[in-house]
Amino acid sequence: MTSTILRRIPVGIGIALCAVAIAACGSDDGDDDSGGGFASGLPVEGAKKGGTLKVVSASDVDQIDPGQAYYQLTYLVTSATQTPLYAYKPEDPETPVPVLAESDPRVSPDGRTVTVKIRSGFRFSPPVDRAVTSKDVKYALTRGFFPSVANQYVQNYLGALEGTGPVVEGDTRELSGIQTPDDRTLVLRFTTDIGATAAQALVLPASAPVPEEYARRFDAKKQSDYGFNQVATGPYMIRNDAQGKAVGYQPGRRIELVRNPSWPGAESGDFRPAYVDRVDWTIGGNPTVIGRQVLNGRDMINGDTVPAPIVKQAATRSKEQITFTPLGNRFIPLNMSEPPFDDVNVRKAVAAAIDRTRLQLVRGGKLTGKVATHFLPPGSPGFEAAGGLEGSGHDFLAKPEGDMQLAAEYLRKAGFSNGRYSGPAISMVGTEDDPGSQVVLDQFRRLGFRVNYRSLSQEAMFGACAVPARKVDVCPNYGWLPDFNDGYAYLYGTFNGKAIAPQQNSNWSQLNDPRINAAMDRAARITDPEERAEAWGRIDDQITAAAAAVPTYWDDVPNVQSRNVRGVIARWNGAWDLSFTSLE
Amino acid sequence: MSSLSLTEPALPAVVARSPLQLFWRRLREDRVALGALAFIGVLVVVAAAAPLVVEVAGTPPPDAQSSEALDDFGSPTGPSAAHPFGVDELGRDVFSRVVYGARVSLEVALISTGIAVVVGTIMGMVAGFYRGWVDTVLSRLMDILLAFPILLLGIGLASACALGNGCLGGIVRPGLSTVVFVIALASWPYIARIVRGQVLSLREREFVEASRSIGASNLRIMRVDVLPNLVAPIIVYTTLIIPTNILFEAALSFLGVGVQPPTASWGQMLSEAVGIFDTAWWYMLFPGLALLFTVLAFNLVGDGLQDALNPKTGR
Repeated sequence: MTSTILRRIPVGIGIALCAVAIAACGSDDGDDDSGGGFASGLPVEGAKKGGTLKVVSASDVDQIDPGQAYYQLTYLVTSATQTPLYAYKPEDPETPVPVLAESDPRVSPDGRTVTVKIRSGFRFSPPVDRAVTSKDVKYALTRGFFPSVANQYVQNYLGALEGTGPVVEGDTRELSGIQTPDDRTLVLRFTTDIGATAAQALVLPASAPVPEEYARRFDAKKQSDYGFNQVATGPYMIRNDAQGKAVGYQPGRRIELVRNPSWPGAESGDFRPAYVDRVDWTIGGNPTVIGRQVLNGRDMINGDTVPAPIVKQAATRSKEQITFTPLGNRFIPLNMSEPPFDDVNVRKAVAAAIDRTRLQLVRGGKLTGKVATHFLPPGSPGFEAAGGLEGSGHDFLAKPEGDMQLAAEYLRKAGFSNGRYSGPAISMVGTEDDPGSQVVLDQFRRLGFRVNYRSLSQEAMFGACAVPARKVDVCPNYGWLPDFNDGYAYLYGTFNGKAIAPQQNSNWSQLNDPRINAAMDRAARITDPEERAEAWGRIDDQITAAAAAVPTYWDDVPNVQSRNVRGVIARWNGAWDLSFTSLE
Repeated sequence: MSSLSLTEPALPAVVARSPLQLFWRRLREDRVALGALAFIGVLVVVAAAAPLVVEVAGTPPPDAQSSEALDDFGSPTGPSAAHPFGVDELGRDVFSRVVYGARVSLEVALISTGIAVVVGTIMGMVAGFYRGWVDTVLSRLMDILLAFPILLLGIGLASACALGNGCLGGIVRPGLSTVVFVIALASWPYIARIVRGQVLSLREREFVEASRSIGASNLRIMRVDVLPNLVAPIIVYTTLIIPTNILFEAALSFLGVGVQPPTASWGQMLSEAVGIFDTAWWYMLFPGLALLFTVLAFNLVGDGLQDALNPKTGR
């Protein structure tokens, strides 16, 4: 598998279903706790304290500011340095556990109010070094709406809070929909009955407290640089100087985490053990070379995705050094806003033609994922309702190896009488180190498409594909990690018409079907878990039927560790958990 | 005054040889240069007849992806009967891609060098012949371009003009045309400086004075008197610039600003091979060797031509 180009939405996924080897997870190729002899990545008893853990990654975090963090990679840092209201234990990605909060959120019967009680005992790291109150959580959530911070998911989940409009416009820094009647109580008031969904979003790092009196001056700038001066509430912090400048973060080069002297530890109710004393993170280099360093070295773990050669090396020679975590999906969005992909028959032709088994192979083979038949992955609520592993029987996805004959039929229905596309050239932006992009390119050309193909870095690819005005027709390397264990988190941002944005757009297909949009709005208000899962499963099927994108596969994310590392995987993130990993 | 003795042997007859004959005689004696020239000849033929070569070799076309040639982990397999140079991580035949990659390398090197030679010769001749403010302006332009970070220009153009229709109405976009433009832009000042130096000397020669005295125009003097005397140094420096430009193209492709996938390019193949060279050594070895031998051959031919064309080598 090449380096991950997964679009990071803060995660909280239902991988636990695979962790207990429920049949829905399917393959017995080592995608559960102990299948295939691979490392389980589960927490262990009696782990040793001390030492310096080394993280090596090819890519840098997207944003060091926890209020802006968006990538899977970045969550390794925020989950160690911040304390959100709720969090997932590494082995259980289904059940949010109160951390800063002292109990589960209370949602009012009308779904418009969410109340959370804050624990006492948590403090900010130096130089702030004072007790955390509800006002700090209010400020953290509010600043996500500041133009200078512009958090990418708060609008999706908390945009219905009363009074967000003026804050987004920059007219005020006071969000009237969040109230703090006392130092330990937080009340969120919404304009609609979205409370049940919004409460789930409180696992995200945007809910980790931020001291307003300290952060205000950084947030007042055109682009907030609070991230470079951040304070921590978790077991670790980015090493800083006496003034609070995060000198331990050198963009593109290094991140140093040290113990947070103000962290109260287990006595506060925080379940993170924090075994290692330091984390030394090196950024940059070739992903394959990095993988080898980790496997052959000491004290090391990978930060970002492990490429196929390393998967092979570890899986064949040192199984105890690699773990696989089912998480997320990958798909090929087709830009429906213009021809030719505004025609459903052209989209279905493409979907029929794509050889998903070859995509699976060039990314590392069966160990690294299962061929997808729709978008909700195994273990997520709604997966079975959407058709499970086999899908719900759409003919254009019936053959994982591709069906050129069926593709030709659909092209004929689209008006191409000889069964080959002969329209104008399309644009495609692939990623430099992703062989899958070139597999997709090849398959489009077999259908007769003339393709203006560009191979760009990951950052540049996102910069092109996430801006609708760039009019890129196909971006073959797209994937999704949800924010929490719910169909809303998988499907709303990627396929709801209201999520289409001029910048940092996540709905790359630009699907804007009023029926699907309305179904999503209805499903977001359902409070009964089973009913909610059923509803989102049906929505998944609707999106699949529309062929807005080609579901390619469901990831089993590989992660590697050095021999002396007892790594623990945060299954909600598909990556190592720095607070639980220890050294032998 | 002395007189010849009747007992002294007769001197051999002096055979007049043209400069071209002298040139061929010297070049024929340089077996290394001849060998390199033969290699280049074969390379040009292979590049031109790439489809035929691949067909005769029985290997798949360069863009043909194959899952059969990958193992269960998607890793490429090495040299075999079906794939003499192995395959890459998409199952594409490396031999075919090396053969087709020769086309890109030679095409870019020869076209960009040709442009550089034409532009450089004209600029150098004008600067050296007219002197004065013309020479000053052109020489400073050459100095600026020689100091310009051309590689960064190439990367910048490729990034800025990567999407949509590129820049300037589609004229500038990542690919062969941009690579040729960048390399030609970087190369012509070298030729121009050499030509300028030669022209500064030639314009003072008596045959130029003679032409001027009978009323020949400057253009005629440059075309009839000066240019023919520049042919030898131009040929030599052209053959020396070609390998530099081949490496330049490879570097640009390595950095992702040259030809775009799936077009085969030696530089791009080397770039893709970096991450897997210790498990798929063939993917770096064969395009690397092709690049090495090609550049070496042009360098050896350039040296041989320099020796053969230089009357002061005393052979």
